[in-house]
Amino acid sequence: MTTQLPLSPPPESADEGRGDRPPGWLSKLLGPLLLLAPAGVWLLLLLVVPTVMILELSLIPGFRPGTGTVSPYGLGNFLTIFQPLYLRVIARSILFAVLCTLFCLLLGFPVAYWIAILSPRRWRNLLLVSFVLPLWTSSLLRSYAWITILRPSGVLNGVLGLVGAPRVDILNTQLSVMIGLVYNFLPYMVLILYASLEKLDLRLLEAAADLGATPREGFVKVTVPQTLPGIAAGCLLVFITSLGDFVVPELLGGASSMTMARLIYNQFLGATRNWGFGSALSMILILAVSVSIALLLKYGDRDVEKTV
Amino acid sequence: MPLRGSRSSHRYRQTAHRLSSSRRRFLQLSTAALAGTALTNCARNLSTGGTSEQASGSDADTLHVYTWSAYVDDDLVQRFEEETGIEVIFDIYDSNETMLARLQAGGGSQYSVIYPSDYMVEIMMELDLLTPLESDRLPSTSDLFDQWQSPAYDPGNEFSYPYAWGTTGLIYNEAELGDVEDWDFLWDNQSDLSRQMTLLNDVREVMGMSLKSLGYSNNSTDPDEIEEAYEKLVELRSDINSFTTDGWRDQIVVGDLLIAHAYSVDAIDIIGENPDLQYVVPSSGATVWTDGVVIPSTAPNVEAAYAWLNYILEPETAAPILSRLQFATPNKLAFDKMPEALKSDVTLFPPDDVLANCEELGDIGDAADLYDRYWTQLTS
Repeated sequence: MTTQLPLSPPPESADEGRGDRPPGWLSKLLGPLLLLAPAGVWLLLLLVVPTVMILELSLIPGFRPGTGTVSPYGLGNFLTIFQPLYLRVIARSILFAVLCTLFCLLLGFPVAYWIAILSPRRWRNLLLVSFVLPLWTSSLLRSYAWITILRPSGVLNGVLGLVGAPRVDILNTQLSVMIGLVYNFLPYMVLILYASLEKLDLRLLEAAADLGATPREGFVKVTVPQTLPGIAAGCLLVFITSLGDFVVPELLGGASSMTMARLIYNQFLGATRNWGFGSALSMILILAVSVSIALLLKYGDRDVEKTV
Repeated sequence: MPLRGSRSSHRYRQTAHRLSSSRRRFLQLSTAALAGTALTNCARNLSTGGTSEQASGSDADTLHVYTWSAYVDDDLVQRFEEETGIEVIFDIYDSNETMLARLQAGGGSQYSVIYPSDYMVEIMMELDLLTPLESDRLPSTSDLFDQWQSPAYDPGNEFSYPYAWGTTGLIYNEAELGDVEDWDFLWDNQSDLSRQMTLLNDVREVMGMSLKSLGYSNNSTDPDEIEEAYEKLVELRSDINSFTTDGWRDQIVVGDLLIAHAYSVDAIDIIGENPDLQYVVPSSGATVWTDGVVIPSTAPNVEAAYAWLNYILEPETAAPILSRLQFATPNKLAFDKMPEALKSDVTLFPPDDVLANCEELGDIGDAADLYDRYWTQLTS
């Protein structure tokens, strides 16, 4: 995998001549270091160190800040997670995230396809901006807007009443959580799919048609494979963000829609203050996200190559 | 074209990988070193409640106050700044736990005055986060009503001075429901109230309400009583619209909800918007809460803190502020200065026989885990 590609010369070979030209190797070493430093420090301080700290806390069973006692390291917190009660919460979170991703893809693909390919070229940017416009307001505000729409005396029931349809009561149900999640993350999906569809080589579709493919076959065998990286990236982004989303389930969820994010929040800022268990839950969330990224990086790319 | 693009990006990634391998090792090492220090410090600092960092950027003319949004008042601050020349900077928290977490993470060293609630005063005392108050530098505690002379959460008011208090009860639509007297109204009329009632998004308040309705203390640590309270809530669960601390407000005003579990301050605030609404402190007892004022042990400006405390606790200042914000005062002198209409308002100052059944939420120690477990079960 590493050798057959024509690579630029690796640094080792460049470093061989460093004895002859000291300024050269110094600048070669310092240049990239300087360039990498801001991002490196950022990553180190705001990603690596906090994650390691959470990992440490997760390994102290029942750790409560301020109690003065630190129990010895152990896996107690992680074992607690495997109780059916908490597994159910995790399963619900994953189900929400998967469904949200699926709906975003089903709703987002036609929109992105239309904007990228079918709509008049001069309207394209405007259409895209108008679709992404909701992202300019905070997700908190957008969730409150949904409360106004979905509540029993809200906008939705007003409209339904006008057309004589029966009233619906969907605020504070699993359905309203799903509506809020899909609405929140759809723009991300559309943006990424648009970027991918924009690069679609239409000549390949023409060639497919010339060779006798129906539009449907052309879509399935040419368009979809070409945009697969975009689909994968979009799904990944939506899945990850919706899995950890706190605002929507908190504001639109009903009496029984506990999710992982809410559970973690309760461990840190609720009455128990069990930071150890909360950290363990966070580690599981981080793990789930990392695994899905790794899988998609690995298999997402391979699928593209295979279909080529 | 796009195909080639994807492959070349692949190649780029591998090049980058090789280029960076030695630097990455360096990064890994320094990360390990840094993480090592973090590891040894993090848990230990947190476990001792350590706010070890030194205050920065605070001087004698600035007072940082960490408080609830409800207590921030522009007039109040303006007069104080004019009288003393000390600039007051507010930071707001929305729950005691948020405030505590910030302090414990070391982010609270600029504050000289904080307004924790009763049980949080107790927790902060145990964590050595507070400075004992010098009673000769504050108004006499003999001005306080009997309940606050020596409250259970802080005997002798050694570390905190009670500032305002309230209850947790039910706000309901009187025009639709008639009179509501006790918690059991929810269970007795469960099917009529289906999806038109909300409970607070707070484990202690919800479990406490169920415990009280069963005749137990809302600070119970008896596993059997806690389980009984949980089972009682399970009966109600399918008809609860949601657990929310704020979400009920608009909905009860427009009539989507009929009854909501609420803090008295929020309820009294909302009743003004819809006269059909009424607030009741349930007769079998409810939570009574007190917000105190404290000086944290890391306070950078103790002088200004005492100036602020004396200023806000002075009956002349406290009465109009608390009247406007509709908080009950624990101070007899301030109470006397409140308008008659508020003094006789049973939602603000419940009758003595009801108040006798009320209890403050105290620290329940390890039973908190049990509460949280049932809470997760209830809300899953």
